[in-house]
Amino acid sequence: MKAMRAVVGIFATDRNTEGEARSQARWRRAATIAMLAAIAAAIVVGGITTPNFLTFNNLLVVIRNASITGIVALGMSYVTLSGNLFALSAEELAILSACVFAWLMHAQFGLLASLAATLLLAAASGAVQGGIIALGADPIITTLAFGALFRGCASLVSENKNIALGSKAAEWLGTGRPLGVPTQSWAFVILTLAAWFVIENTRFGRLLLLTGANRAAATATGLRVGEAALVAVTLLGIGCGLVGISAAAQFGLAAANLFAGLNIDVVAAILVGGISLRGGQGSPIQAALGATFIALMQNFMLLHDLSTGVRMTVVGCLVAAATCAFHALQRSRA
Amino acid sequence: MQGEDTLLRMHGIAKRYGSVAALQGVDFTLRRGEVMALLGENGAGKSTLVKILAGLERPDAGTIEIGGEIVTLRSPGQSLRAGVAYVTQELSIISSLSIAENICLGGGDDHFVWTQARLAAKVRPFLALVGLGDIDPGLAAGSLSLAQQQLVEIARLLSRDARILILDEPTAALSDAEIEKVKAVVRKLAAEGRSVIYVTHRLGEVFEIGDRVTIFRNGRSFDPAPVKDLDIDELIEHLLGRRLDQMFPPRGAGIGPVAMSVRDVIAPGLAEPVSFDLRRGEILGLAGQLGSGANAIVKAIAGAEPRRGGTISLGGRPLTLHSVRDAIANGIAYCSDDRKRDGIFGVRKVIENLTAPSLTRISTGGLLSGRRENELATQLAGFFEIAVGRLGSQAGKLSGGNQQKVALGKWLGIEPSILLVEEPTRGVDVGARAEIYHHLRTLAERGLGIAFASSDNQEVLGLADTVATFFRGRLVRMAAAETLDPEELLRDVTHPASTEAGGAR
Repeated sequence: MKAMRAVVGIFATDRNTEGEARSQARWRRAATIAMLAAIAAAIVVGGITTPNFLTFNNLLVVIRNASITGIVALGMSYVTLSGNLFALSAEELAILSACVFAWLMHAQFGLLASLAATLLLAAASGAVQGGIIALGADPIITTLAFGALFRGCASLVSENKNIALGSKAAEWLGTGRPLGVPTQSWAFVILTLAAWFVIENTRFGRLLLLTGANRAAATATGLRVGEAALVAVTLLGIGCGLVGISAAAQFGLAAANLFAGLNIDVVAAILVGGISLRGGQGSPIQAALGATFIALMQNFMLLHDLSTGVRMTVVGCLVAAATCAFHALQRSRA
Repeated sequence: MQGEDTLLRMHGIAKRYGSVAALQGVDFTLRRGEVMALLGENGAGKSTLVKILAGLERPDAGTIEIGGEIVTLRSPGQSLRAGVAYVTQELSIISSLSIAENICLGGGDDHFVWTQARLAAKVRPFLALVGLGDIDPGLAAGSLSLAQQQLVEIARLLSRDARILILDEPTAALSDAEIEKVKAVVRKLAAEGRSVIYVTHRLGEVFEIGDRVTIFRNGRSFDPAPVKDLDIDELIEHLLGRRLDQMFPPRGAGIGPVAMSVRDVIAPGLAEPVSFDLRRGEILGLAGQLGSGANAIVKAIAGAEPRRGGTISLGGRPLTLHSVRDAIANGIAYCSDDRKRDGIFGVRKVIENLTAPSLTRISTGGLLSGRRENELATQLAGFFEIAVGRLGSQAGKLSGGNQQKVALGKWLGIEPSILLVEEPTRGVDVGARAEIYHHLRTLAERGLGIAFASSDNQEVLGLADTVATFFRGRLVRMAAAETLDPEELLRDVTHPASTEAGGAR
C-alpha cells in the first residue's frame, strides 16, 4: 500500500486547477461587474449628452421597457441555460397574448377570467413548443415556425385592428405605480430574484444547468433531460404572457404590431449579459442586467431621434459582435 | 548522432490539454527508409505526437524539421504537402464510393470531371504498390475487407507522394492473415526508401517489423533504440517504468453469491447471445478489442443500447431495462468509455458532477440543501481521493485521471450494487490509474459486483478476478485471471481461432 502511494505521489498532476477555478469565478464576477459598469456608463453618458434622459418621466419609461425586455429575457435565459439556444417565438407569443387578453376584456369576460385564460394560453403555447424541443427537435426551427403561427393567430384575433380593453382595473395593471414604481418593474425585480433562486437552489434548477452543460451526460446520469426544455420554454411562455398582458393594459389596447424588435432585444440581452450559448453556464441575473443595458441603449437612441432602422441596426451589430466575441473567447479558452 | 539520412527531426515538442501535459519537451527523429515503432501506454503521448506531425494538433512549443528544413504543420493539408501522411485507427474510407474515388478524394485532381476509367488508370500503380494490383478500382470500397480498406487508405497516401507514413495501430481490428498483409506492405514501403512511423500496442509487432523503437511514457520520450538490441522484458520495463505488481491491488478473497446473472443477452454489436454471472465482490474483466462485443454487452446491461433478447436478473429477480434510468433505478451504475461525451459535465463544478445522480438525496421538496450536497460530495471525493479543494473547480479543467475519478465517484452516491465501466483508465495517467484500480478493488471488497470492458490486456489481467474474452461479437471464454497468461489472453482477443480447441467457455 505504502509503496503504491509513494508511486502515486510521484505522478501527481494538475496542481494548478484550484487557481484556475478561482480565475474562473473571477472572470464571471468580472463579466457581471463589467455589465454593471456599462449600465452606469450608459446612464452617465446619456445624462450628460441627452436632455430629458435623466428626467423622472423618462426614467420611468426606461425602467418599464427594461422590465418588458427583462421579463422575457429571464424566461429566455432558462431556455439558453438548458442548452436550447433561443426560442424565437417570444415576441410573437407576447403579441398573441396581448391580443387575446384585449379581445377577452373587450368581450366582457372580466379581468380575472381574462388574465387566467391568457396566462394559461401562453403557458400551454410554451409547453407545446418545449415538448417538441424536448423530443429532440431543433429549437430555432421549431420556435420560428410557432412564431409565424402565433403572429398569424394574433392577426386573426385582432383582425389587424386595435382592440380596446375599456377597463379601468386593467389599465391600473399597466400604468399603476405601487410605492412609486411601475407594476412591470415590481414584476421584473421579483421575477429576477425568483428565477435566480430557482436556478441556484432547486433540484429543477440543477437539472436545467446539468442538462444544458452536457445533455448526453445528463441522460447517462439518469436525469430527465426532457423536463429541462419543457419547463424552460413553458416558463418563457408565461413570461411572454405577462408581458403581453401588461402592454395591452398599459396602452388600453392591443394590436398585432406591438413589441417590434423584442426577439432581437432579448437575444441581445442574453448575449451581452454573457450567458454561454452552449448552455449550462450563466445566471438569470446576467440576463436581467443585459436587458437593462439594452433598454437604456434603446431609450438613448430614441431620445436622439434615431429612427427604428438605425436602432435595429445598432442592436443587430451588438448581437453580431457579442456572438463573435463569444466564439473568440471559447476558442482562446479551449 | 544522426547522419545525413535523418528525414524528420522533432525537437522540444510540448503540448498541454488544459492542465494535462500530454507532451513535455519530446525529441523524435526518423531516418529515411526505416520503420520506427512508437510504443507507449494509453495517454503516454504517442498519439499526440503523431497528431502534431499530421497537422491535427498544434504544439505549444518545439520545432519540426523535414529534410533539413523547418516546417510549420498547422493543418492536415500542410502536413500532406510536407510529405507526411497519417492513417488513423478509425478508417476514413467512404464505403459508397469506388476504391479509385476513395484514393483520389481530396487529392486536388486537376480535372473538373472524373471518369471511372481515368481514375482507375491513375490509381492502379498505387494499388499495386500495396498489393492490391489485382482488384478492380471501380468496386465500391465498402465491399473490401477491413485489411483491404486499410491498404486502400495507405494507397491513398502514397498517391499523395508521402515520404513519411504514420500508421496508427493499423492492425487493431484485423485478423491474422490480414495483419501479415499489412506488415508486408509496410516492409516493402520502407525498402523503397519511405519512412514509416508505426504506432502500436503490441510488443510482438515491434520486433517483427520495427527497425528502431521510440518509447513514450508520461508525455516524455526515450531516445530511439534499435530493435535488435532490445528484448521484450526491457521493452516492458521502459514502457511501464516500474514493476507491474505495484500498479494493481491484490485480489480480493471475499467473492460472494451471484449478484447479477446475464442470460442469452443479444444486442447490437453481439453476434451471438451472451451469458455470464457476476458475483458480489467480484471484478469481472471483459477483454476485447474494438468491436469485439465486450463494450456492447456492457452497454446492453446498462440500458444504453437496446437489448434484443435475453434476461438480466439481479439477486434472482429479472429486470426490465429499457433505459439508463431503469438501470440506475435498479442500482446498476454505468460509466461509458467516452468521459467527455457523457461522463462528466465539463463546465460545471466538480461538486455538482459528484451529486448529479443523487439529486433527490440532497434535496427536500425540490429544494437543494447546500449542507447535504457538501457532505455527500466530500464523502465521495474522500473515497476517490479527489482533493476537497477542487470541489469548486470546473470538472473539465481537471486532469484525465481526476475527471475519471469524478465520473466514477459520482455513482457511489446512488449506492449501486453493480458497477459497469468501459475502459476504466482511458486517457488517464499512470499514477491515477493505480489509484483508480485500488478504489475499484475497495468497492468490490465492500460487496459491489464490478464488470469492466477493456482493450488493455494488462489492465484486465491485473485488475480482474475473472476474465471473459470477447472476439467479433462472441464471448470466447471465461477464466480465472490467475490461470491466464498474457500471451494466451492476447491470442484470445486478437485471433482466438489459433487457440487450442476446447477454449470455448
